[in-house]
Amino acid sequence: MCKYSTKLIAWLDRELEQEQMAEMAQHLRECGECRVNIAKYEGASQLFDDYCNAVMTAEPDRGRRRWIPVLSAAAAILVLVATTAVVLHNRVQPLSPSPTAIVQPAESPLVPEPATPPANAMRPRRARAKPVRSQAGNWLPLPPQPAVEVAIPADSMFPPGAVPEGVNFIADVNFAPDGSARQMRLRPRLTAIERSAPQP
Amino acid sequence: MTGESVQITLPFSCLASGTREVTSLYRELREPLLRYLVCLGLSKDEAQDVVQDAFLSLHRHLTAGGAQTNIRGWLFRVAHNQARNRQGSYHRRFAEPLDPHFAPMVDESTPERMVLEKEKLHRLEKAIAALTDAERECLLLRATGLRYREIGEALGMATSTVGDTVERAIRKISEKLDV
Repeated sequence: MCKYSTKLIAWLDRELEQEQMAEMAQHLRECGECRVNIAKYEGASQLFDDYCNAVMTAEPDRGRRRWIPVLSAAAAILVLVATTAVVLHNRVQPLSPSPTAIVQPAESPLVPEPATPPANAMRPRRARAKPVRSQAGNWLPLPPQPAVEVAIPADSMFPPGAVPEGVNFIADVNFAPDGSARQMRLRPRLTAIERSAPQP
Repeated sequence: MTGESVQITLPFSCLASGTREVTSLYRELREPLLRYLVCLGLSKDEAQDVVQDAFLSLHRHLTAGGAQTNIRGWLFRVAHNQARNRQGSYHRRFAEPLDPHFAPMVDESTPERMVLEKEKLHRLEKAIAALTDAERECLLLRATGLRYREIGEALGMATSTVGDTVERAIRKISEKLDV
């Protein structure tokens, strides 16, 4: 067995020191046995990755059946952002009976477009990892352009001191044909963290 | 008649220190984390809950002045441990046969090709099922693009042990597949 055979996968993963990487590259030019094995290992790695993607794709979206209880409230103001494609400027009714509720069109996207990865982003070392397909359904499907922004005082919806820092909510609101809100369901999300990032 | 369904986001202030770092990591690692957790055996719902909890933990960790070295490994470790705590579903699905009606890996261009591909898929499933937990987890984390050092942080293993485990696992799969 070739003495380099135990380093082939580390070389594939670029986990060797720079010197060893060069030495291995040189060796591979000369050693047919190692070239064959490298191809086998690369093939096995690719199949494993494909299988992971298949498992991810095959796992059904069941929809979220349970409520996650709201913990507490510290924020003074909640900003509700209707993110549907349906423009409801003239039809949205305040979801709270609070007289201070404000309904206004959103002037800029409050949910940012997917940003280009940061310079220090983790990248697959091998070009074999396929992007994971995000499916519609319960997958954070935030549209890029909110239609309506609604501000409601937090204390009209939650007790004082309520929500843990860094938590957003997505509310699925069901409107009746006459425009009144028929039902609302809250789901915690971390979108506030995304939104709080300074825009370039 | 059913009314129109509208999705609403309710943001809260979270401008504490560390938020920018969390934001960047969230964009970068949300999908890889979800894939890792689903491949471990969690449902997508469970995986989303775990990812949310993991990022909340990260947010608290950073705002409390916690260490910022090897933060990717740290995040995967938190998610991994939370997945462990859900043992009821952990390892329930991964390496179990995929739904026969849904085989995105199978090339169905010709009947012969389809039989060959299905045979290969079957052998791959058997090969993955024969791996130890550590081998499977190392390969899953490697598939997300983590370095050996980060995998070691996530699984509580030495970096050299990760290298050995990955090599052993890939060799096993390769031998079973005869690729």
